[in-house]
Amino acid sequence: MAGIVGYGIYVPRYRLKQADAAMPWANWASGEKAVCGADEDIITMAAEASDKAIKHAGVAPAQIGSIYIGTTSSPYIEQYITPILAETLELASEATMIDYSGSVNSTANALLGCLDAIESGRTKYGIVIGTEDRATAPGTEGEASFGAAAAAFVIGKDGIIADIEGVYTYSTLFIDRWRATKDTWVSNYFDYRFDREFGYEKHVVAASKGLMGKIGIKTEDFRYAVFQQPDERLPGLAARALGISSELLAPGMASILGDLGSCSAFISLAGVLDTAKAGERILLTSYGSGSSNAFSMIVRDQIEQKKKNLGVPLERYLEQKEYIDYVSYLKITKALKRAPY
Amino acid sequence: MRGKVAIIGVGMIPFGEHFQKSLEDMAAEAYITCLESVDKGIAPKEIKAAWFGQWSGGTIGQGAQAGSSLASIIGNMEIPITRVENGCPTGADTFRNACLGVASGVYDVVLALGVEKMRDKPGSESLIAAGGGTGAIMGQHPSWMMGHGGPSLQAFYATRQMYELGFTMEDFAKVAVKNHHNGTFCPYAHYRFEVTVERVLNSPLVCWPLHLLDCCPQTDGAAAAIVCRADLAKKYTDKPIYVLGSNVGHDHANYWDKHNFIEMLATVRAARGAFEMAAVKPEDLDFAEVHDCFTNTELMNIEDIGICRKGEAAKLLNEGEFDTKGRIPVNPSGGLKAHGHPIAATGIGQICEVVWQLREEADKRQVKIKSGIGLQHNVGGPGFGVSGVNILSRSL
Amino acid sequence: MSSPAPASPLFWRFNPEVYRLIGVRCKDCGHITYPRRKICPICGSLNLEEHKLSRRGTVQTYAINWVLPPGLEPPVPVVIVDLEGGGKYQGIITEVTNPEDVKIGDKVEMVLRKVVTDRGLNIYGYKFRLVEEG
Repeated sequence: MAGIVGYGIYVPRYRLKQADAAMPWANWASGEKAVCGADEDIITMAAEASDKAIKHAGVAPAQIGSIYIGTTSSPYIEQYITPILAETLELASEATMIDYSGSVNSTANALLGCLDAIESGRTKYGIVIGTEDRATAPGTEGEASFGAAAAAFVIGKDGIIADIEGVYTYSTLFIDRWRATKDTWVSNYFDYRFDREFGYEKHVVAASKGLMGKIGIKTEDFRYAVFQQPDERLPGLAARALGISSELLAPGMASILGDLGSCSAFISLAGVLDTAKAGERILLTSYGSGSSNAFSMIVRDQIEQKKKNLGVPLERYLEQKEYIDYVSYLKITKALKRAPY
Repeated sequence: MRGKVAIIGVGMIPFGEHFQKSLEDMAAEAYITCLESVDKGIAPKEIKAAWFGQWSGGTIGQGAQAGSSLASIIGNMEIPITRVENGCPTGADTFRNACLGVASGVYDVVLALGVEKMRDKPGSESLIAAGGGTGAIMGQHPSWMMGHGGPSLQAFYATRQMYELGFTMEDFAKVAVKNHHNGTFCPYAHYRFEVTVERVLNSPLVCWPLHLLDCCPQTDGAAAAIVCRADLAKKYTDKPIYVLGSNVGHDHANYWDKHNFIEMLATVRAARGAFEMAAVKPEDLDFAEVHDCFTNTELMNIEDIGICRKGEAAKLLNEGEFDTKGRIPVNPSGGLKAHGHPIAATGIGQICEVVWQLREEADKRQVKIKSGIGLQHNVGGPGFGVSGVNILSRSL
Repeated sequence: MSSPAPASPLFWRFNPEVYRLIGVRCKDCGHITYPRRKICPICGSLNLEEHKLSRRGTVQTYAINWVLPPGLEPPVPVVIVDLEGGGKYQGIITEVTNPEDVKIGDKVEMVLRKVVTDRGLNIYGYKFRLVEEG
C-alpha cells in the first residue's frame, strides 16, 4: 500500500484565550486557541504547510499528480481552492484538482481518495491537505473553541516514512453540528451528551474496531492513538471504550490550539511523526458529521533520513505565539465592522 | 525654445480651501486676473490657443476631462484647447506645451491655465488618492501596491536619505520651518503660519519617517500665464520674462525598476535637458521654486537639479543657504508645503512666483536678483516617474 | 475609481507573475523586472527571457504607513526588497508587532497572503515575513 512520503504543517502565531470569547456571553471555556491574522485564511495556511511537505518529501512539484484538500471553511461554495494552491506550489496543469468539504471528516476522506488514486496507478504522488478556519458567530461554542491550522501530507509509494497499512470507514446518518447555506457560522452541539455518545464515541470506536478486525491487529500493537480532538475529553472516552491506554493518546491540542476541525487528527499526526521511531504503529481515527475513518500506519526508517528537511515541528509552533484580545478577534473574523460613514 | 518665447502676464488666485468656489469659479478668476496683469492691456480674442492643466479629471472631486471645459469657462469657443495631464508636473507641462505652441511659430499668443479642486473630498481621501492608486488602476497588482497612499512612496526615499546620506528627521522638519516662514510673506499661500521643528516632529506620523507637517496640504487653486512670441512681447509689457528652457524628464514608475532611492532621475533628466536648452548652468540661478510635496523631497530636488552635490543639501539648509536671504533661495513662495499643492495649478503658480521675483515685485519675500534667472520644478506622477522644469530669465 | 474585479482578464494575466514569480530578464543589460514585457525598460532591448524571481531577499528600503485606504489596519510596513539572485520586489511586511523592528538589511521571505477581497472573491499575493536568525 502507499504511505506518507513527507509532511508539513502551519499554525498561525496569534492566540485568543477561549474564556475571552466565552465569558461576555455567560458561557464557559478554558485554554486558548490559534487564530488567523487578518491577511490569513485556509488557503494561505495550506500554501505554507504544503510547501514544507513537498520539500520534506523530496519530490519535485511537477511530480505531484493530484492535490486533495479537506476543509469546511472554504470562502467559496462554487470555485475550487486547489488551483490557487497549484499556482503557488507550481504544480503541473495536468495535476487533478480535488476539493473535499462538507464535514470535518473531509481530510480523512481526502486521504482515502488519494490512496485510491495511487493504488489504482492513476497518480504516482498526491498531496493531501487539511486546512481549517471555521466560521464562527459571537456567543457560540465554536467562537470560543474553533482553532486555525493546516497540515499537508505527500502520499506515494516511494520514499515512504510511514506506510499506511489499512483503512476502514464507519458512517451513519447522524447530526451533531452543522452549517446550512443560509448560516455564516457552525451551530453549537445540538445536545452534547447525546452527541458525544452516539456521535463521536460510537463512530470512532466502530471505525477503529473495524480497522483492527480487518487487518488483524490488536490495540496492544499500537504505540500511538491519534483521534479527532474536538475537545480535551472526547479522545479519552473513545480510548477507554476501545480498551486503549490513555498514555497512547497524542497530546491534547484542543485547549492549546483549539478544535482544528478537518485537520485536527492530522496536526496531531504530524506532532507524533516529529518524534516517532521506525517500527512504531499509529492508529489515526477522524470523526465528523456521522462519519469516521480509521487508518493504521507503520513508521519506517526513512523518517530519520528525512528529518533534516523537516519544516517547522509542531512543538516550535506551540512556542511561537502572540495573544490578541476579543475585540481584535471580532474585527479579524468580521463580526465587528467599521461603519462606512 | 531660447529666444522665442516670452511671458507677458501671470495671474493666480490665493491657494487654499475654497469650499465656496467651484472649479469653474477658480479657473475664471485666475484667467481674469491674468488678463488684467498684462501691463499694456490685451484683448481676450488675441489669445489664439490654450493649454488646460487639470490633473484629477474628476477622480477626487470636481474635475474636467477635455479642453472644451476651459473653452466654456473663458467664453471662447473659437480656439483650439488641449487638456494636459502629466501627474504632479501637470502645471509645468501645460506651460511647456503652451510655449511649444508659440516656439513652433503656429501661434503668436497663447494661454496656459491650471486648476485643481481637491477639497470637495475630505483631506484624508484625497491625500490617499494623490499618493497612490489601488493597483489595478495603474496596471499593477494589488499585492505590489497595497499599503501605499499619501507620502509612502516618498517615504521610501526619506528612509534611504537617512541611511545613506545621514539626513535626519530634524533636517526634513527644517524644510517645513523655512517654507512656512516664507509663506507668511506670501498673500497667495495656503498656510500663513510659522512652525517649529518640535511642532513638525510631534505632529502625527503619516508614514514613518514622515509626519503630518512634513506633507504639503490638499489645496484648491488656479493659476494662469499668457505666453507670446518673444519679438512681440514688448507690445504687451515692458517687463517680459523669457523662457530659456522647458523640459520634461522621466524615470521608471515601478519602484522595483529604480536605480536607487536617493535620487529621482525624472528631475535629473528634466533639469539637465532644460539647462542645455537654456544654455545656462545651475550656478547661474538666482533662486528656484521646487516641488516640496514632502519635506525630504525638497532636499532631494535641490541635489537632483544640480544646485548642490548629492548628500550636501541638508548641510546647506542648516547653514541658511536656501533661505530667502541666503545664497540660493529655494521656495521663497513658501513651496508646496506652505503655499499649497492644487496639483495642476501648482506648476503655473510657481511660474507666477518666478515671474514676480524676476520682475522684483515680490515685496516682503523678494530675493536678490543678480543674473536674472530663475527655475521652476515639479516632480510626481505614478511612481514619481515624471518631472517638469522651466527656466525663465529677465533677459533674452 | 474602479474596484479590482478578481475575475477580470487583468488579474488572470497576472497569475504567472503573482503566484509563480515569473518576470523577465534582459539578456543585454541584465535588468530583471515584472510584469513580463516585450521591451527592456532600462535599455530598450527586445532580447528578453523569462526569469523566475526568488522568494527570499533583504530589505533595501521601507516606510511605515499609518494613513491607509479602507481594508488595511495601520501600521503597515511597506518595503522594497533586494531578491536573492537579482531583481527587486515591492510589498508589505506582515506579522510585525512593532514596526520599529524593521531595518534596512533585514532578511525576509515571501508568504502567500490575502491581499484584498472584492465581490466575495479573494485576491492572493506574496507578502514578506521577517526571517528569524538561527
